[in-house]
Amino acid sequence: MSGGLFLQSLILGVLLGGLYALMAAGLTLYFGVMRVVMIAHAAFLVLAGYLAWFFTTRTGLDPILSLAVTVPAFFVLGVGIRRLLITRLKPATMTMMSVLLTFALALVIEGLLGFTFTGVQRRIRTGYSSANFEIFGAQVAVVKLIAFVLAVVALGSLWFVLKKTSLGQALRATIQHREAAELVGIDTDKVAGYGFGIGLATAAVGGTALALDATIYPSLHWHWIGPMMAIIVVGGLGSIPGAAMAAMALGIIHAFLQVPLGATWAQTVFYVALFGTLMVRPQGFFGGRLAQRF
Amino acid sequence: MASESPPNLLELDRIEAGYGHAALVLRGLTITVPRSTIVCLVGPNGAGKSTVLKVASGMLHPRGGTVRLDGHDVTRHGPQQRLRAGLAHVLQGHSVFPEMTVGENVRLGAYTVPDRATVATRVQFVQHLFPVVSEQWDVLAGLLSGGQQKQVEFARSLMIDPKVVLLDEPSMGLDPKATATVFEQIERMRDTGTAVLLVEQNARRALQTADIGCVLDLGRVHMSGPAPELLDDPELSQLYLGGHVAG
Repeated sequence: MSGGLFLQSLILGVLLGGLYALMAAGLTLYFGVMRVVMIAHAAFLVLAGYLAWFFTTRTGLDPILSLAVTVPAFFVLGVGIRRLLITRLKPATMTMMSVLLTFALALVIEGLLGFTFTGVQRRIRTGYSSANFEIFGAQVAVVKLIAFVLAVVALGSLWFVLKKTSLGQALRATIQHREAAELVGIDTDKVAGYGFGIGLATAAVGGTALALDATIYPSLHWHWIGPMMAIIVVGGLGSIPGAAMAAMALGIIHAFLQVPLGATWAQTVFYVALFGTLMVRPQGFFGGRLAQRF
Repeated sequence: MASESPPNLLELDRIEAGYGHAALVLRGLTITVPRSTIVCLVGPNGAGKSTVLKVASGMLHPRGGTVRLDGHDVTRHGPQQRLRAGLAHVLQGHSVFPEMTVGENVRLGAYTVPDRATVATRVQFVQHLFPVVSEQWDVLAGLLSGGQQKQVEFARSLMIDPKVVLLDEPSMGLDPKATATVFEQIERMRDTGTAVLLVEQNARRALQTADIGCVLDLGRVHMSGPAPELLDDPELSQLYLGGHVAG
């Protein structure tokens, strides 16, 4: 591999890794707060992508501006989904039954998208959609950089909320020891609802960032849910920094493998990493104790 | 009419309680905790000791009877309302937030206290009471030893300046040295004006620390009185304290 190609792959890997980290952050948060495996997370990413596309098509404005609507809307939607659907599951079987429930939710979203927007593939067109810039001889797509910046800003905001706000402290306490959190006066039920809302709000940003650089179609979420699940298992379920580090590592490896293997086979890196992790270190590489680290 | 503070901070009056549809665990149990006093519950496994604490803190609602805190009926109140009324509960085993620093853990104890100045005063108070808290302030709580973690939990419970603290098996899993430290700290809590309702498997050690002892059996108070008298009671010693009378 030439030096130029190496640098190109490395930059692409870092940019993709950042986006993957954001897309997986919500998924690991749901699990951390409530032991919910949210199969529909990728479907919400695609929904956000469609809403960004629809917004730009109708208004002619930049798709990023759609976040002003979709982020709060997804937060409220997340709180509502948890309140109306997730809380109906029994705590003892929450994890297993949440797979079934959110699988159904993913199918509903896919069906609604197909019904509303048809199965035609869509792509967001902006003035910078095909723009590139050069860095040390490597060509970098502007949209990939914007998606990366969006991911960094969103993950930075998430870090700030979790580390520096009262809600974040309550959320982390709820994840780490729910009963003790209740006994210091935290309304863990309400906090879990907000946690679900925050998780879904990250999907709004992640889906918009994804749609800047990808063709979207209603069943696209099946392409993403596998890699995202692999990322959060490799990172350690419930661990947001773990997911971020796993996403970055797998993003870079994925980018490098695309050169010799092509895009389709390179995708297998996620599943190889998943199986390898489950065999060697089922608790994940960066999470340590299950669902306790931030 | 002038109202006087009731002599008993916490009263559990003829409590009947159980889990789900299963049989009753507590069957007409009555316990009182006076101010600035350590009351210790001892008894065999399954006697209902931890259930008493869950009923007292509001984690389990009784099927019958009354819970009074500082003279007020709190039977139907949940844990958060009782916390605001001055009742703190330290759980069995380790209940620190392991991936948070000691400082974060302690400050979370004052989650329901909106006034920052009050929180700062309480932080100083618990740092003074528990030196390990100030020494390990920035260390992740999960990295501390079992005894140190228990002291962090005590400190966290005192952040609301509680009238009464419920302690469930505080010496469980601790080595003798850490156990001795924990019991010293319980005495210091009492000496600073907090009443303590203590559940402990290590009955002899607990009764040496407590002011009042209550022996539970089959969900009722089998015997109660000043802790030193219970320690010297031959029947009690034979049945619950390992077979020989304390000398």
